Amino acid sequence: MSFDVALILQSLPQILEGVGLTVQLHLISLAAGTLLAVGLALLRISPNPALSWPALVYIYVFRGTPMLVQVAIVYYGLAQFEMVRNSPLWPTLREPFWCAIIAFTLNVTAYTAEILRGGIQGVDRGLLEAGKSLGLSAWHRFTRITIPIAMRLSIPAYGNEMISLLKGTALASMITMYDVTGVARTIVSRTFAPYEIFISAALVYLALTWVIQQGVKFAERYFNRHLRK
Amino acid sequence: MLKSFIAAAALAVSAFIAAPVVQAQEVLKVGSECTYFPFNFRDVDGKLKGYDIDVADEVAKRLNAKTEYSCLKFDGLIPALLAGQFDLIAASLSITPQRKERMDFSVPYRLSIGQFVAPKAKKLQLFDASNNVLKQNFKGIRIGLQRGTTYDSWFQAIVPEAQVVRYETVEQMYLEIKSGRLDAIMTNPMKTYLEFLSKPDGAGFEVVGPQITDEKYFGTGAGIGIRKGNEALLKRIDTAILAMKADGTLDKFSKLYFPFAIYPIN
Repeated sequence: MSFDVALILQSLPQILEGVGLTVQLHLISLAAGTLLAVGLALLRISPNPALSWPALVYIYVFRGTPMLVQVAIVYYGLAQFEMVRNSPLWPTLREPFWCAIIAFTLNVTAYTAEILRGGIQGVDRGLLEAGKSLGLSAWHRFTRITIPIAMRLSIPAYGNEMISLLKGTALASMITMYDVTGVARTIVSRTFAPYEIFISAALVYLALTWVIQQGVKFAERYFNRHLRK
Repeated sequence: MLKSFIAAAALAVSAFIAAPVVQAQEVLKVGSECTYFPFNFRDVDGKLKGYDIDVADEVAKRLNAKTEYSCLKFDGLIPALLAGQFDLIAASLSITPQRKERMDFSVPYRLSIGQFVAPKAKKLQLFDASNNVLKQNFKGIRIGLQRGTTYDSWFQAIVPEAQVVRYETVEQMYLEIKSGRLDAIMTNPMKTYLEFLSKPDGAGFEVVGPQITDEKYFGTGAGIGIRKGNEALLKRIDTAILAMKADGTLDKFSKLYFPFAIYPIN
């Protein structure tokens, strides 16, 4: 078996054609999932079990099953029901793009809700009591004390989730999409050169991860600016 | 006394080590897809079966060897063979000029053809009366096919403007044509007849257009794949397959699954 370094470079431009789709899948499901996660995290920390239990079950189910299975259920599973195919949702669910977005979003929501819960519960009680003694209302204590500190505490774990979702988007290739991995697999099936082509795809993912890492670093510096000397 | 004991022990040990080596049977590692009914698939008990498997096992038997199977997705088979993870591919692999640049093949043991399957209600006209492709009729429809197959390369060459959706297995494509995500699929008509068109699930579907056998893309048939540089083994395999064709073994294997012979007669 020969190893063709030139092939890595040759295949890069083709693989880069998949970057647009990978980035779209990543950004849309990250944004939607994070918005939903805020609500879910608030339900999760509610003292009312009627609110916290459904949130707990949701998080358990979506963290406890492989994303591959979730994608397959949304894409192949739903399409088998006549009811779904006759519903107004079908034009959306027919598209692999939206099936992937739905599955990724549901998954991100579960993980991010737990990250945010950790952040919110990590806020020092003493600070909240201090706020209370200064006469801040519950709303002001939440928006002025809890949220800024919780965000700062959540950033490292959230950065992890962003990177892990980026790699998770490779599952879109399983449901016929030409994201970075999908393009790479198609080239492999023509060139029979998996090492070179997948290394090329790996380089693309590394570059994207670097961008995320820099973003997280910047955010961390911004939220911790009061700690800088 | 002690000396003779040691000598006897050494003799016993060396006999013990040598014995299995003399008896060892050659093991042929074979890669297959294991999900391509009725050519290579697992039955309800998980046992590997099918026409490809029957042929590979019989070839091994005539070579006084044993088979050991690895199961992989179709598009991973050739890369894994080239990387040395197994010695042979028995997976209905068509003998195409493109593949022959990277690997060798036995003589064909199976026909290689492709055909379109579509819902009857769509009344697709993909070919004219003399079986030429009607390119304009491929516009706006989605065609499903298995990634890395002969159908894939035929499509790229003949109707590059068609919207092609690639799948890992044929079974996924049946689901997709039933749900309406696909308008047509291109696949092996023998296989589709047996597991889809003849079943209640496939009642609303039909084959469209002629059987396509274009040798440039579909090759001379399907053969056993092998890495280049194994001429001696390849020659033994070819001899076995030709003998199996002559003595009716391939005919017998065909008729285990189909009402007709599926190997090249000439």
